[in-house]
Amino acid sequence: MSSRKSFRNWWQYAVLLAVPVFASASSDIEALTKDSNNWAMQAGNFANQRYSELKQINKSNAKNLQVAWTFSTGVLRGHEGGPLVVGDTMYVHSPFPNKVFAVNLEDQKIKWKYEPKQDSAVIPVMCCDTVNRGVAYADNKVFLQQADTTLVALDAKTGKEIWKVKVGDPKIGETTTNAPHIFKDKVITGISGGEFGVRGRLTAYDINTGKEVWKAYSTGPDAEMLMDPQKTMTWTDGKMAPVGKDSSLKTWSGDQWKLGGGTTWGWYSYDPALNLVYYGSGNPSTWNPSQRPGDNKWSMTIFARDLDTGEAKWVFQMTPHDEWDYDGVNEMILANIKVKGQQRKTLVHMDRNGFAYTMDRSSGELLVAEKYDPTVNWASGVDMKTGRPILDAKYSTDRQGPDVNIKGICPTALGTKDQQPASFSPKTGLFYVPTNHVCMDYEPFKVDYTAGQPYVGATLSMYPATAKGNMGNFIAWDAGTGKIVWSKPERFSVWSGALSTAGDVVFYGTLEGYIKAVDNNGKELWRFKTPSGIIGNVHTWSFKGKQYIGVLSGIGGWAGIGLAAGLEKSTDGLGAVGGYKDLANYTELGGVLTVFALPGKAGV
Amino acid sequence: MLGTIGGTRAADAPLYTVVDGNKVDSNTIKGWHTWRAMACERCHGANQEGLVGPALVDSLKVLTKEQFKTTVLLGRMEKGMPNFNGSKQVVENIDFLYAFLKGRSDGAIKPGRLEEIK
Repeated sequence: MSSRKSFRNWWQYAVLLAVPVFASASSDIEALTKDSNNWAMQAGNFANQRYSELKQINKSNAKNLQVAWTFSTGVLRGHEGGPLVVGDTMYVHSPFPNKVFAVNLEDQKIKWKYEPKQDSAVIPVMCCDTVNRGVAYADNKVFLQQADTTLVALDAKTGKEIWKVKVGDPKIGETTTNAPHIFKDKVITGISGGEFGVRGRLTAYDINTGKEVWKAYSTGPDAEMLMDPQKTMTWTDGKMAPVGKDSSLKTWSGDQWKLGGGTTWGWYSYDPALNLVYYGSGNPSTWNPSQRPGDNKWSMTIFARDLDTGEAKWVFQMTPHDEWDYDGVNEMILANIKVKGQQRKTLVHMDRNGFAYTMDRSSGELLVAEKYDPTVNWASGVDMKTGRPILDAKYSTDRQGPDVNIKGICPTALGTKDQQPASFSPKTGLFYVPTNHVCMDYEPFKVDYTAGQPYVGATLSMYPATAKGNMGNFIAWDAGTGKIVWSKPERFSVWSGALSTAGDVVFYGTLEGYIKAVDNNGKELWRFKTPSGIIGNVHTWSFKGKQYIGVLSGIGGWAGIGLAAGLEKSTDGLGAVGGYKDLANYTELGGVLTVFALPGKAGV
Repeated sequence: MLGTIGGTRAADAPLYTVVDGNKVDSNTIKGWHTWRAMACERCHGANQEGLVGPALVDSLKVLTKEQFKTTVLLGRMEKGMPNFNGSKQVVENIDFLYAFLKGRSDGAIKPGRLEEIK
């Protein structure tokens, strides 16, 4: 069962500027990620672990870290993602206009710069700032997923375009913010626009030609979702069972699945042994739940798909019939850990809905689902037999229908964690998770769909989760038991990706602009104030025997967009002291990469 | 509390009518509904006090009604302001949207939920 109908038309969109000499079944990306001198993928490796074997910087000397060099992107707005390092070159990207720089690590000279021509009309249809989560690399090519949905492959040596393909249509609210991901000989990319009634899908292209290999929708008919009613499995009544015929269509009224959301703007991972790609789908459109009765499958879902065919092996819906905008797009981290005393091949996912899920990544069985912030209240827990959240009716935004303001829901639409990726250390067996500690009032209202116009249908206000007033925590999570090991409070949401290392140092950034190093117990070892708030992801590499740490600062994104946000008086009594509004006292816009190293010569 | 008749004191009909800060005439309600339907708060803030986009409580003190309409309908693409002339709801209710925002800017209409004057 494959979707070949789109294959007919690929050539109308792909601009072939070079003919590959040969097409191999695999690229060099896996080998590149195995060399810890590189940081060749956004997450460092296929498993989304954001862990480095480098240990020159360790818990004893991290306090001596100092700035080695800095680099301005020349762009304001939110800087998510991070640079890649392959050999002696670093590839730095920016938010819209999505510049790419190749920087020579020897002297920090710019080898080449690429700036696509994009219609600025795409900016207004980007829901949450003009972010971009970084480029991908393989076989001497750099892959950029532009905001306007153009996916382009560049020659890594010269920055010249090799091929281009359009993966969506901004006129109907389709944009792209995700990093492309390279697995074997394919580049995998997604789509954004859940606030514009976009129909989410994941698409795979050939890295050499830009030819579409498969496209898998999140909603709609089985064939278009690349689902086999008998072979695609899901957790049902305590065991795995086939999804059955029309598993998505049955959960929408009429044609609503066509505007159904389920976008795919997060991080993807890959297990070469199982040949499975893992990712999550976003919110169902609209945010007004009474307009879309049913479970709205397969929005808010973990997908495991065969890399070569796109066929779904298993799926798991975390938040059926979403009433809070708890997108399921956060990264799926692949880790081999002990679960309840047994060694398992797991997938661990810290969902926006406040629950951290531990799944068997080959079968799709649900193993653990627990709150990773104690304030989560919209559901008391997850029923391990059905896999469904046990809802607290008090926080249902659907039960009382539109135009009723439901107060005190935790977490907010931002989730206990948004896209800011967590890290897993195989050395400690723990997950280091940047979290939001924020609650909301949510009022749904009826909206009509117009292509290219917002299709949201809810008004929200947000405030700190408790009277303490901190809006974030950086936590260590045990996914085998579903318990918080330690939690370090932060003034604002922690919107930066974490990095753990073999040197027993864990790094993350804060919205005020600090990059911080903590030890495996969460004790702070070092901090440095970068020029702007950090929503980028910390990464590390080694060049000429010296280990470096890098991070993009540049406030923005959904957390930083609220720089001037006011809070309603309705939150009085919760100790709200201005919420995100406070952020303006700490930071201003501007994209800068700051690179750190230990003083002295290599190996000191 | 007495009702406020907002806008210019010209001979024409008042721009908006408000009682107790949150009860308004049916046209101004339409303006508020349009504001919500277009998710304006994502850029301008739930209380019109600005986020990534400007604070409209201030802008409406400066912009003329015509400038306001031009900005909303044609957008300011370089600044990220979409053009809303493709939305039937905005085109039909642009005067009421102006009235609602002017009421907020004048300080006569309070932030948050509005209801119709009974």
